[in-house]
Amino acid sequence: MNPTLPDPLIQIFQVGTVTLAGPGLSGFIARVEARLQGRRGPRILQPYYDIAKLFRKEALAPTDASGFFLMAPFVAFACYLTIPLLIPVLTSYGLPLGYMGDILGGGFLLALASFAIATAAAETGSPYAQLGSSRSKTFGAITEPVVLFVVFAVALLTGTDLPYALAATVRSGAGQIVRPAHLLAAAAFFLVILYETGRIPVETHNGTNEFGMIEEARSFEYSGPYLAILRWGSSMKQMIFYVLLINVFLAPWGLASNGSLVAVVLAVLALLGKAAVVGVGVAVIDNSFAKLRLFKITQLVAAAFLLAVLAVFTLYLGGG
Amino acid sequence: MSILLVVLFVGPIAAALLCALTPLPLGRAVSVISGFGSLGTTLALATTTRRHAVHALHYLQADALSTVFLLATALLYALVSLYTIGYLRGARLDTTPNSETVARHEHRYDRRLYAGINLFAWAMLMAPLVNGFALLWIAVEITTVVSALLVAFDGTNRATEAAWKYVLIASAGLGIALLGTILFYYAGAGVLGASYDLAFDPLLAHAASLPANVVRLGFTLAVLGFGTKVGFFPVHTWLPDAHSEAPTPVSTLLSGSLLAVSFYAVLRYFQVAVATLGPAFPRAVLLAFGIASLALAAFSVVDQRDLKRFLAYSSVEHMGILAIGMGFGTRLATVGVLLHVLAHAAAKGNAFMGAGALVRTFGTKSIGTMRDTIRILPWSASLFLLALLALTAAPPFGIFRSEFYIISGGLSAGHFVGVVALVALVTVAFGGLAWTATRLAFETRNDPSDHHGFGEPSRWLYLPPILGMAALLVLGVHPPASLLDLLVKGAAELGGGV
Amino acid sequence: MSSATPPPSVFDGIAGVIVVLVLLAEFGMLHATLLFLQLRLYAAQSFLLSVLAGVAAYAKHVPELYALAVLSCALKVFAVPATIRRLVGQPSQEIAGSGVLGVGTRTLLGLAVTAVGFFAAKAWHIHGTFLPSTALSLSVSVLLVSFVLMIVRRDVVSQAVGLFSLENAVSLASLVVAAAMPLLLEVAFLFDLLVAVVVFGVLIRTHQLRRRSFLTTDLTELRG
Repeated sequence: MNPTLPDPLIQIFQVGTVTLAGPGLSGFIARVEARLQGRRGPRILQPYYDIAKLFRKEALAPTDASGFFLMAPFVAFACYLTIPLLIPVLTSYGLPLGYMGDILGGGFLLALASFAIATAAAETGSPYAQLGSSRSKTFGAITEPVVLFVVFAVALLTGTDLPYALAATVRSGAGQIVRPAHLLAAAAFFLVILYETGRIPVETHNGTNEFGMIEEARSFEYSGPYLAILRWGSSMKQMIFYVLLINVFLAPWGLASNGSLVAVVLAVLALLGKAAVVGVGVAVIDNSFAKLRLFKITQLVAAAFLLAVLAVFTLYLGGG
Repeated sequence: MSILLVVLFVGPIAAALLCALTPLPLGRAVSVISGFGSLGTTLALATTTRRHAVHALHYLQADALSTVFLLATALLYALVSLYTIGYLRGARLDTTPNSETVARHEHRYDRRLYAGINLFAWAMLMAPLVNGFALLWIAVEITTVVSALLVAFDGTNRATEAAWKYVLIASAGLGIALLGTILFYYAGAGVLGASYDLAFDPLLAHAASLPANVVRLGFTLAVLGFGTKVGFFPVHTWLPDAHSEAPTPVSTLLSGSLLAVSFYAVLRYFQVAVATLGPAFPRAVLLAFGIASLALAAFSVVDQRDLKRFLAYSSVEHMGILAIGMGFGTRLATVGVLLHVLAHAAAKGNAFMGAGALVRTFGTKSIGTMRDTIRILPWSASLFLLALLALTAAPPFGIFRSEFYIISGGLSAGHFVGVVALVALVTVAFGGLAWTATRLAFETRNDPSDHHGFGEPSRWLYLPPILGMAALLVLGVHPPASLLDLLVKGAAELGGGV
Repeated sequence: MSSATPPPSVFDGIAGVIVVLVLLAEFGMLHATLLFLQLRLYAAQSFLLSVLAGVAAYAKHVPELYALAVLSCALKVFAVPATIRRLVGQPSQEIAGSGVLGVGTRTLLGLAVTAVGFFAAKAWHIHGTFLPSTALSLSVSVLLVSFVLMIVRRDVVSQAVGLFSLENAVSLASLVVAAAMPLLLEVAFLFDLLVAVVVFGVLIRTHQLRRRSFLTTDLTELRG
């Protein structure tokens, strides 16, 4: 009893996995973090309850906000729904629509989502939200080169910039994994993830309101279903980044190599397991470092930039 | 003859140990014995090495080239061992120790200075004695660390600053030289097998089959690296500071021998580079460094207010002349270079020792406040004046002869641009030196009542310069034939053309 | 899709990663703000070098390299930092304010000289017997970054550590091109380093006693 699933269905599974597992991942990390601090912590499923509760609440919007303010969470959510089509979430081979965009395409969609939220936050007139959106754009501008260099490194490693191709290259032999350029690019990408998902040392992630907020500040003026969509979207974004790190850079094993049901189910389980491992790593970092002062975030970005540029150097000039 | 090498190897370091462990009078005597003993040993060695090289204990060797540098070092070692007696006595004349602790402190200072000078001399004698690029590098590195401690010896703010700059810049330079050495190793490994000890002769014998690009790179790095210690522009910046702040006996050794010994290191790499690459490239490199250093130094001596810095820049000038002479590359110019090493050691040693006496008497290093020195210090000042004249290449002193050789060698090789640069810049430096010398010696001070006490602080302060002056005169007027033999043999080892 | 850079062998890859970590340690020293962190980074860098020597010894069957690895580990990872720590003898003192350039500028400068190192070493066409030639490029980069470190950090400890790491860079280069150098010479080099370290320690201590700080910004008396 092992039917072969049609490709479009698997593609839907890919999107579904990211959509449904995203909040669970956030809950898991919060739980691990609490345990590391000696607390019992919230349930892993807590984010789902939060989102469900928010959906039942009334939605309020600032009086001066335009329709764009209300639209932004949905634009972002749509972007996050599209990206899983492009990346190897479950399968090692490209699915329908899988080749319609490369890594840069995915990057554009992420940027579009972030742009929509930041613009909407700027519309509200709330000082906190505006601060958050201007900061996120400022630091976004300096993380952008890092991401580009990571993409260059990937392109040089594989000769293409399709995520599927890089995963296949990494799988092709041990020499590909230990090569310095690959590890440097992966490390740079990991630092970008820390920044993009709003983790320590960039910002605190447990919902306290404070001056150094970046990501968290942008959703200040949302409420009800809009906030739910926003929260859900941001947990999906985190999941997407983890999938990229795991299935493209670090450990693209356990993916389904054909469309059989068992393989796909195993791939889902493997992905969840690997994401949990990364989550534990992030939680440990969260607990062992202090939050950087706002102006020191450039140092983190400088480190990431260094790693990414070195990756390109070793490839271009040293044959690494 | 190989026993002489062992004596040179053991003598000074034994003296250093004795100075550190025994009471001061014994240490003083031991230093003088070791200094003159080393000089005598080197002279005896020269009688053999002017015909063939001498080896001992597998790692020691001396040929004509290294003997020249050994002679320069041993000469200054001997003179300084005498001079230090006066230097330390003169320091105590005006301040008689009034308490037990001060006396003990000074005693310890003296003993350490003697030990340090012996150790420093040992390290500098080691560099030309060892057989192999790796050992040569190690010896030069030891000279750096020992002399850095000696530069900081007085423990003043300025001395600490000078020592820090010196040790940092010189060690960084030596780091680069080490890279050059390792590249030489790599170049030789293809011919001599993977495990060999970088001795000079085998590498030189197979030089023609070494990979040219590696040797070119290694040579350039070595020139830049050891050039830091020679004082080539633009890596000379530590030199005036260290020379001016070190105790005078140490400045004397720094300027007269340390720079020369570092230049010897450059020459060893030059030998291999010439054999591998042909003479054009190595000569061009040295010529470029030489002219740049000479140009910098010539203009720096003109307007210099600190007496010891003034002499330090003059050292940069003379190192530039050495490099230019090697750049000309004819046999005559090369002989001139080797003679110049000896003459410069004697002249610059004299100048520093004289300057030390002046600084001691006037209590300052500022040239502006020293006037009428001939009247106040009849011996030291006149010897200092003569030493400065010798440094300007005035006849009949040794530097006149050596620069004459270098220039005629350059002319015969057709290096007209180099010769014109050399002559023009040396003339500029001559102006600076002569002006300063006359001001120091003859200009009377405006306020005759303000005197610093007449008379020489100690006769040990002018006895060594008299010996040095005698050596300079011999070199200038009539160098012994055996010495010329040695220089010609050394020039032949350097591959100087016809 | 033929433009992909072919992967190095597994050994070359591992060696390359270690060398890259050496370079990253150098960049860490460029920014380190605590005295002991600076020393620890140096120890880590030296340890990586020893590991590299060990890896090369294992993979290419050169038993002498094991001895070298152990010796240099004992000396550079333990003896050198311990000596400096003893001689300086101050509990974790800040050397934070000693950078003359901002973090970003320093990193960019470091990257620029790294690129120069890569280009330069590539043009030499030197290939080692044991380690990939990437290691040579990277060692030149480490050397140049150590110069940047000595220039932009105005405190004695960073400058001294910069110099020792320069020596590490040269050791790295010698692992690439001269790994079979007789052990006796290597030992002599290491001993020399130890002597230099003691002298540096003494001078740092003198400096610190006289100036009451590690900064070198006031070393401006000697000019002209």
